[in-house]
Amino acid sequence: MTPGETLLSFENARVGYGFEPVVDGVALEVRAGEVVGLVGPNGAGKSTLLRAVTGTARVLAGALSVCGQDAVRLSPRARARSVAVVPQALPVPFAMTARRFVELGRHPHLDVLERPGSEDAAVVEDAMRRTDTLRLASQTVDTLSGGDLQRLTVAQALAQQPRVLLLDEATAHLDVNHALQVLDLVRSEADAGAAVLAVFHDLDLAARYADRIAIVAGGAVSEALPPEQALDADVLSRVFDVRAVVRVEPVTGSVAVVPIVRGADVAEAGLGPVGVVCGSGAGARLQRELARAGCRVVCGALNEGDVDADVARALGHAFFALPPFGEAGADAEAWAAQQFAACVSIVVAPTPFGRANVANLRAAVRSGRSLVFVGQFSAERDYTGGEAAALVAEALGAGAVVVPGEGDALRMVMAHVEEGRDE
Amino acid sequence: MGARPTSRAAALVALAAALAISVVAGVAFGAVKVPPAEVLAAVGRALAGRSGPVEDAVVIGLRIPRVLLAALVGACLATAGVLYQALFRNALADPYILGVSSGAGLGATLAFVAAGSTTLGVLVGVPAGAFAGALATIALVVALAGRAGRLESTSLLLAGVAVSYTLAALTSFVMVVSRESMHAVVFWMMGGLQRASWPYVGMLAAVLVLGSAVPFLRARELDLMLLGDERAGQLGLDAQRFTLAMLACASLVVAGAVSVSGLIGFVGLMVPHAVRLVLGPDHRTLLPASALAGAVAVVLADLVARVVLAPVELPVGIVTAIAGGPFFVWLLVRTERAR
Repeated sequence: MTPGETLLSFENARVGYGFEPVVDGVALEVRAGEVVGLVGPNGAGKSTLLRAVTGTARVLAGALSVCGQDAVRLSPRARARSVAVVPQALPVPFAMTARRFVELGRHPHLDVLERPGSEDAAVVEDAMRRTDTLRLASQTVDTLSGGDLQRLTVAQALAQQPRVLLLDEATAHLDVNHALQVLDLVRSEADAGAAVLAVFHDLDLAARYADRIAIVAGGAVSEALPPEQALDADVLSRVFDVRAVVRVEPVTGSVAVVPIVRGADVAEAGLGPVGVVCGSGAGARLQRELARAGCRVVCGALNEGDVDADVARALGHAFFALPPFGEAGADAEAWAAQQFAACVSIVVAPTPFGRANVANLRAAVRSGRSLVFVGQFSAERDYTGGEAAALVAEALGAGAVVVPGEGDALRMVMAHVEEGRDE
Repeated sequence: MGARPTSRAAALVALAAALAISVVAGVAFGAVKVPPAEVLAAVGRALAGRSGPVEDAVVIGLRIPRVLLAALVGACLATAGVLYQALFRNALADPYILGVSSGAGLGATLAFVAAGSTTLGVLVGVPAGAFAGALATIALVVALAGRAGRLESTSLLLAGVAVSYTLAALTSFVMVVSRESMHAVVFWMMGGLQRASWPYVGMLAAVLVLGSAVPFLRARELDLMLLGDERAGQLGLDAQRFTLAMLACASLVVAGAVSVSGLIGFVGLMVPHAVRLVLGPDHRTLLPASALAGAVAVVLADLVARVVLAPVELPVGIVTAIAGGPFFVWLLVRTERAR
């Protein structure tokens, strides 16, 4: 559905505890019908933003409004009629019945001495039905599993009949099944017109369930953008110090993040260069380990969309970009030949060879550099009508080595690199 | 688990019946035995304004006020225990362990020494002093135990015990300094109901009604407090203000109980805990049921105190401590294991 009116809005807000600001200059709007995700490193202030909405953290400057009203002036009771929170799943150590637990969500709608009536009972019943918790109604909450308890907490929040729903890492302790269940439920609340602001711990879940994502880091909040714009390799490197491949996951159709290595674990690329002949992701581990060891890596020509091309880009390795499914032309092969000729050593990953990457093999074999093959070459990996097999035979004849695994290849290459440095 | 109205009503009726039976037993037994039928007859004669045998004076003037006072003290202490346990989300909290009883005791002792034994002093001054002492103590204990807004279970108990010892020492100091009232104060502080009389009964009944009506009417908010301050706030409760109001109520009933009977420990710990185990944590049930069960417990403890070494009377605080100490240890071990 198209987003409706703005239900939650931070205007140039500074929020924190006491007089200490945690996040400053926050400009964020959440409209009816949308889920806005907050992601960022631990301790960056994501939860503080939510707590500003519930009144636990303070708005030190700027404005924060909920359903058009100044949030700072709302009484806890009035606030709880518009805003509900689903916190992390926490164990509840007392024997309250599940129905009573959900019924407590009606509190802000009841007068001080008023007892819940039939209308409240209907709301509670409905919240429990939607969260699939009716069958737990007469059980006590201290006996429930984490997943059941969290759905019950969602039911308690829904019993508040909120227009704004805040999720504070609501799926952090849940297994994948229960996490999806809770988030599907929240998604459907948004589709029914709620404004959802959710702190996510898991970037893939954030990308999958949020319409827009804002990054909280370094005391500031970025503009909320669609997941594919908000999460890219650059942002991940800057905000989380992680080299990652960010791609649209074909199964879910949403952005997925695959962290490769921590930025702090990548040494300054001062050694090498080392060539890697790869494709289809067969060279991903070699690329990662060479980056950690501090080698400059060149990969030859790779198709856009190929996993090895994504990894090379995330790690800053040189490669000649071919269009998806395109073949390497003379210019690509000339580039690869030139790059490989300057390498200390070249590793050939156990990749299948086709029309695109056989040019890399040809350039590597003819470079005259020392060659290490990972795994015996076999006809199953040859989609070139025998050309690749012939090139491998030629290289072996010229003294190339075959090792069983990537670890062996890395050890051998690093020995070459060290020798080269000593000379 | 206590949520169904019928089982709740049944539990309350059963507890009320138990209280009635223990009150009659408490009046009937003692240094002089009075058969239950005679007790009821004496009450009937007193209500009708007719004069009866000499035993009537014992029953109406001494036994009945004493037993009623025991019941009220038990109800007060159990009510305070329920409140402290909910507000601190700690099954080990009770007025004795938190030091509130000692604080009330010091306040009461100071007021007793200052105001003397005039009727007004005893019925208003001493409870007021106890109330001030109780409030100041809970504020001190919470301030000592609270770090970064969170009350850690262990630090709360440690702060309570430390404050309790200090205040008990101060109370002893005051007693030694004011020699003439020492004997009276010592006996009272050990937890006794010997000074029972009708004016005390009236005073403590008023205190119990004042201090337990507000918590009972706001039972749902007490349930919310079980979810933690932050969650209670998210569900629309001003947790800080509510906690202060409830602590004032708890301090009031503790002060009332301490000012008539001195230090009676463990009732506020054992009774709410046992009732919660049987009837569940819903405060609409827990508060009245604990008050009734607390009343039964202290009436029976006082009966034991009067009978066991008759004609010598034990202070009732000794009886509750002998029963309650091991219970506390058991609870502590169980809580530690559950971690």
